[in-house]
Amino acid sequence: MTLATHEVCWGAAGRIIVDGVTLQAAPGRVLGLIGPNGSGKSSLLRLLCRLRNVASGVVTLDGRDIAALARRELARRLAFVEQQAATEIQLSVCDVVRLGRTPHRAALASWTAADEAAVTEALARVGLSERHDQSWHTLSGGERQRVHIARALAQEPSELILDEPTNHLDIQHQLSILSLVRRLGITCIMALHDLNLAAMFCDEIALLHEGRLQMAGPPDEVLTAEAIQRIFGVAVAIRTGASGRRHIEYLVEAEQGAGGLAGA
Amino acid sequence: MSHAAHGPNWPARIAVALASVLALALSVALAVTIGEMRIPLDTALRALGNGLLGLDAPVSAIQQGVIFDYRLSRALMAGLCGGALALSGAILQALLRNPLAEPYVLGISAGASTGAVAVLILGVGIGGTALTLSAGAFVGSCAALAVVALLATGAGGASDRVILAGVATSQLFNAATATIVTTLASAEQARGVMFWLLGNFGGVRWPDLWVATPVALVGFAVCMLHAKALDAFAFGIDAAAALGVAVTRVKVVLFATTAVMTAAMVSIIGTVGFVGLIIPHAARFLVGSGHARLLPACLVVGAIFMILADILSRVLIPQQILPIGVVTALFGAPVFALILHRARRPS
Repeated sequence: MTLATHEVCWGAAGRIIVDGVTLQAAPGRVLGLIGPNGSGKSSLLRLLCRLRNVASGVVTLDGRDIAALARRELARRLAFVEQQAATEIQLSVCDVVRLGRTPHRAALASWTAADEAAVTEALARVGLSERHDQSWHTLSGGERQRVHIARALAQEPSELILDEPTNHLDIQHQLSILSLVRRLGITCIMALHDLNLAAMFCDEIALLHEGRLQMAGPPDEVLTAEAIQRIFGVAVAIRTGASGRRHIEYLVEAEQGAGGLAGA
Repeated sequence: MSHAAHGPNWPARIAVALASVLALALSVALAVTIGEMRIPLDTALRALGNGLLGLDAPVSAIQQGVIFDYRLSRALMAGLCGGALALSGAILQALLRNPLAEPYVLGISAGASTGAVAVLILGVGIGGTALTLSAGAFVGSCAALAVVALLATGAGGASDRVILAGVATSQLFNAATATIVTTLASAEQARGVMFWLLGNFGGVRWPDLWVATPVALVGFAVCMLHAKALDAFAFGIDAAAALGVAVTRVKVVLFATTAVMTAAMVSIIGTVGFVGLIIPHAARFLVGSGHARLLPACLVVGAIFMILADILSRVLIPQQILPIGVVTALFGAPVFALILHRARRPS
């Protein structure tokens, strides 16, 4: 058992954004949330870690309603990585990772050997041990996201929630972040934009559209040409790629006047 | 690596604490000896002994009065006020994630002034003057905080909107204060209020300290209890909540603490700008951005800065006392520019 939702609804400004979603994450597996812009992926993730409270329905962690858990207790189980969390404050890499220890420390507790060990290990797992003292502001986008993942790992969570962790990153960093997430071995729930990346890195995929869960299951069952055409309005051809995973090719009609290449 | 040490480094902590106390004592000693009437340090020490320890050292009654009742209470009040305002600035900057946030910029000081002036001129209060004035200032600062929160939320709640809302609130309450003063105050009252609005330690006496001391120290304790939570706000409110911080409770408690500290100080000495803005930045420059170190640093640096600024306000122009707000701005602005310049990021 791990994180699950049952008939979860949520809205803002009179608009329903998440509409009756029932979903379950499998322990130790990567669950991908896909769907067009505005389909409610980010909102659903925020409901999962109680950054927003459900309007109706229930989110459970090991069968217990998360609304009944203290926020600190929740933060020791669930860690959340945002799309692009930035700060103006001058911080070093280890300052950021140390924030992950917040739910484990009492108000006046001093820094312990266990805290230090968790930070050291988290940095090692994301491959940034040598950047320990580097200023956060001198890091690249990919490195910042790795530091956020290290911060989340320092929370020692059993579930990790990531909201489009690869947004704005170049392809090399997208692949390395997602490989990292896959290797973590903890339950991950992750919103993704890129369907091919979702097919490559997720064990299971949930497809959202207008706040409703359309389908959920292994990539091969969810990422069908018919579903993608229906939900995203894009024609695709699906074939098995060189890696053995499915590859989605977008079929875009050549623009009229594309023949005018001679002019270029 | 410096991070290898676990747990508190007690010798270093005690050394820093002692150095801070020494620097504070030195500032107070300077404040007590410098002034229109030159009083040698040994006379000053004897007067302090008489006043604090009940000794009976030979000091003339005038010198005793000037040292103990006038200069010492004034210096201690300046210290408390500087510390509390700097602390408030650091808290607001962390919660609102905006380096420009402070009680003065956000209009909390303006609200406190309106409340205090309403009590002072409309005579709303009954009983002890200092307390009713404080109560008026507190109601005013809470009203201002509510208006800022309302405006900022209505405008989308982004951190730059908070500053805009603060500017609007400031103007609103300043206008209210001006309306009360111009329509209802006698000429004498109006002059007194105007001087007070720019900040004035002249009227400070010991009873004021019995109000300001507990407010500043309890406020400091409350802030220190939330030091780790404040660190967690570095990446925003959602990030703090995801780290297990009870965001709403922390915000309510700390905004209220800030409002009480600001109200208490404004009710006693009037509005003083710039301290809440520059001291947290200067302190960050000295000790880094971790709040467990930053908050005590703000208290000490703010106190020393204000005591020294008060000395300057008394000696800068012979036979005259400048409003403290003028001195803090005159010296604060260039110092701030220097900090910005030195702390600029390599791009």
